[in-house]
Amino acid sequence: MWVERVNLSDIAGSASILRPRSSPAQLVMTFGPTRSLRSGEITRLLRTSFPEAILFGCSTGTTVESRSLSDTNTVAVAIGFETSWARVAIERIADMSDSYRAGQAIGLELGGELLVGVLVLSDGLAVNGSALVNGLKNTLPEHVKISGGLAGDGAQFADTLVTVGDLAESGLIAAVGLYGPSLRMTHEAAGGWDEFGPVRIITRSDDSILYELDGKPALDLYETYLGDEAAALPASALLYPLKIWDPASPDDEVVRTVLSVDHARRSMKFAGDIPQGWKARLMRGSFERLIDSAAEAADCAKSQMENQSSYDGLCLIVSCVGRRLLMGQQTEEEIDVVYSSIGGSFPIVGFYSYGEILANSKTGPSGLHNQTITLTMISEVA
Amino acid sequence: MSYHPLLNRQLLKAKCDDESIDVPTLLSLVSTAYQEKDIDRKRADHANRVMADELNVTLSELALQNMRFRAAMDNMYHGLSLFDEQGRLVVCNSRFLEIYGIDGETSPIGLELPEILGRCNALSRANDLDKRLIIREHICLDRLDRTPIEQQWPDGRWVELTRTSVADGGFLDTIVDITGAHQASDKIAHLARHDHLTDLPNRVLLRERLLEIYRNRRRQQKCAILFLDLDGFKAVNDTLGHAIGDLLLVEVSRRLLSIVREMDVVARLGGDEFAIVMQHIRSRSSPQRFARRVINLLNRPFTIEGYKIHVGASVGIDIIDASEMDADQILRNADIALYQAKADGKNTARLYDPAMHAAVTARRQLEVDLSNAVLFKQFEVFYQPQIDLEAGTVSGFEALARWRHSGRGMISPTEFIPMCEENGLIEELGAQILEVACKDAMAWPACVTVSVNLSPVQFKSGNLPTIVKDVLEKIGFPGSRLELEITESAIFDRSSGIISQLSEIRKLGIRVSLDDFGTGYSSLSHIRSFPFDRIKIDQSFVRELGADAESLAIVRAVVGLCENLGIQSTAEGVETHKQLDVLQHEQCRSVQGYLFSEPVTMSETMKIISEFNTDPPKQISIRRRAA
Repeated sequence: MWVERVNLSDIAGSASILRPRSSPAQLVMTFGPTRSLRSGEITRLLRTSFPEAILFGCSTGTTVESRSLSDTNTVAVAIGFETSWARVAIERIADMSDSYRAGQAIGLELGGELLVGVLVLSDGLAVNGSALVNGLKNTLPEHVKISGGLAGDGAQFADTLVTVGDLAESGLIAAVGLYGPSLRMTHEAAGGWDEFGPVRIITRSDDSILYELDGKPALDLYETYLGDEAAALPASALLYPLKIWDPASPDDEVVRTVLSVDHARRSMKFAGDIPQGWKARLMRGSFERLIDSAAEAADCAKSQMENQSSYDGLCLIVSCVGRRLLMGQQTEEEIDVVYSSIGGSFPIVGFYSYGEILANSKTGPSGLHNQTITLTMISEVA
Repeated sequence: MSYHPLLNRQLLKAKCDDESIDVPTLLSLVSTAYQEKDIDRKRADHANRVMADELNVTLSELALQNMRFRAAMDNMYHGLSLFDEQGRLVVCNSRFLEIYGIDGETSPIGLELPEILGRCNALSRANDLDKRLIIREHICLDRLDRTPIEQQWPDGRWVELTRTSVADGGFLDTIVDITGAHQASDKIAHLARHDHLTDLPNRVLLRERLLEIYRNRRRQQKCAILFLDLDGFKAVNDTLGHAIGDLLLVEVSRRLLSIVREMDVVARLGGDEFAIVMQHIRSRSSPQRFARRVINLLNRPFTIEGYKIHVGASVGIDIIDASEMDADQILRNADIALYQAKADGKNTARLYDPAMHAAVTARRQLEVDLSNAVLFKQFEVFYQPQIDLEAGTVSGFEALARWRHSGRGMISPTEFIPMCEENGLIEELGAQILEVACKDAMAWPACVTVSVNLSPVQFKSGNLPTIVKDVLEKIGFPGSRLELEITESAIFDRSSGIISQLSEIRKLGIRVSLDDFGTGYSSLSHIRSFPFDRIKIDQSFVRELGADAESLAIVRAVVGLCENLGIQSTAEGVETHKQLDVLQHEQCRSVQGYLFSEPVTMSETMKIISEFNTDPPKQISIRRRAA
């Protein structure tokens, strides 16, 4: 397996600058600002350079490449497999309630004997991520690892898209199935957020829309906590993610992040379900603990990959926009610690998302995550 | 010198192609980093403040909640104490302090259970060992079992303790004062074994006492049981009411208790029946002597609510060896002896002997048979003619009930009538006889009447006039051909309203005669109390006519009296010509007796009527009929 960072300004001149490889690129992943991707220019460039590859990417407010972040750059990475192969599946959804079906359709399309993992990128605003992942999980066997995320748009929460082949659209879900007996995939997620304040009860909600906590409007609570920063809602709500859990199984906690707010109804839309009757508690992050947890996740993913005696590969980072908003310049440090742990043999590429997907992991909860950093390492064994 | 990683990154970002630092870029990055830190600090401050406010609200809500819990706990009926994993008291309510008598000023919170129990006043009256046992039992309660235990404390209280385990490794004890419940169950147990009116032991406790005697028996130890029944109690209840009757029973129980020994038992079995168990008796005669004392004691008049009341008592006695005690048998034997005592004329005591058993059984069987005979109308009616001496004709017949028992043959009315009276059968029997007699009399010539005897008991219900009227209407028999006979003793009991009932009967055209005159009180006032149509002179006087001058004087006086008052006189039991002669000489109006005819069946009455009435003889032809 080979992985190469694609310098988009280079290939704008000539494809010949690419190094010759033993196999053609089969997959090219691209992450960048919505505006850059929507124009289609980048896709055209990549198509010229990688005529046989699956072009696959999504919008984001912040890209990750190697050990640095950028709020303006578009990043791309080309991947060639020795013996493994990839297939793509695409679903468009009309509205959020279609998310589960879309997940099922993708799962059914990609499912196959040698399927090792699925990378899924979804529109970040129009999709119920929890339902999408549940649809996938219910159609794919448990050993198939599912990774990916919801497209982002920085602090704007205005326009997200997914690119696949020549398409660059909102409301799109694309997934790449990775197949072959030599393919190895490990993934990890880490949060590092701390709970604080009283435990609350979700007294009124409807799917992913939260109306009331403890019988009072949820938006009132967030506005109180945010103070002046309430003006930056919904993005500023990411500073205080919401941990929720079913009182009947208090160990299965999930963290939810806000996608939008409705000032008139005093409600908040989250990136996943907020079941009524569950308990909830606000969370907040300290830089140190968020960064430490990223390092732990990296160590863990790396050790899993080493156990499988693999060599070079790719490390895909999908981290939450909430972490980016909170940590500002220091966000780079969580990428830096991952880089330090994983080292040079696994080039890092990734994006800051509106929701991280990590399912069928060996450890930890499975499904749509929020406010986490997730690492997916892909490799081939000889 | 090593810089902060952030500064290193900022330097890297500010580095120009020629490796020089773009100072404005660096400063901008550094400034932004300061701003971000400021924002983060302010954000944390703000969040902490809001959280503190929220927690304050929550705290005050919790305080309110605590206050409510405290109020609820302190008003619980149960005492409650919650101990932590180390066994130290963390929470208790005021009921807990109250039950244990723990001084509220020195809080037991933080103390372990043994220390708390050691301090509590409620156990201070116990001696050391008892106290240790009570405390130990409490401390060792099983927290998983949850089965309550009961303790009786030295101050007499009963408490129930329950222990439950708590999730934090501690335990929760609840304590409740169940003294009231114990008292109630004691009371219930007492009520179940005692008579509520006199508070004497009842039949249940009597039986238990007998079993106790058996369990504690010694060799050749004898005991006696006396069954006692008041004679005349029913009359007290009927005449003075049940309230007086109840007071009389209470007084009887007091008198009985006053003469028994401490070891003896007096029980009320129900109604006017009492039992006395005498233990350790020395001779067979001592219970009998004691029974006599009882009878004498109860014969003494009682004064209840201003009424002077006389009752008697019949006593049945059985004596057995304590080692052969069979409670059922001794009770049955004493009952049989009592039955015999009553049969023997009351106000007497009888000692059980096995022969009695057969007699009583036979009598009881007879009672059952009698009841069936009344039910199935198995009585026959015989008739004895009454002869009008002036006309020499049969003026009427006296109806006499006869019972032909399948095993014993004919049974005398003197035997079965009292039994019917005692067993509440007389009203039904009386109605049956009346109906048969009236039906039979329909066959006789219109000048021939029928007379039917009445028992005083038939007046008790007050229904007699209605019964008589119904019979007459049912059969279509004219009241003028019916005569009802009552005895003097019936008139004496004015309480039954006999006079008014007789007056009603008389309005139906029925004649009323006074039977067996001379045997009772022979009171002229009785004759005056009601306008009798006939007075029947008792056969005891008639029998002596010609032999005894006194009898003649009485007969003459009565006949004369009747003559003057315009009342018919009839002499009963005329058996000889001599008696008839005397009666004719004394101008007695009518006679009946074996001289003319013994009581006969209905079919034979027709012959008698035809013999006497078709061709009335000038001189009465006297003929004795074959038996």
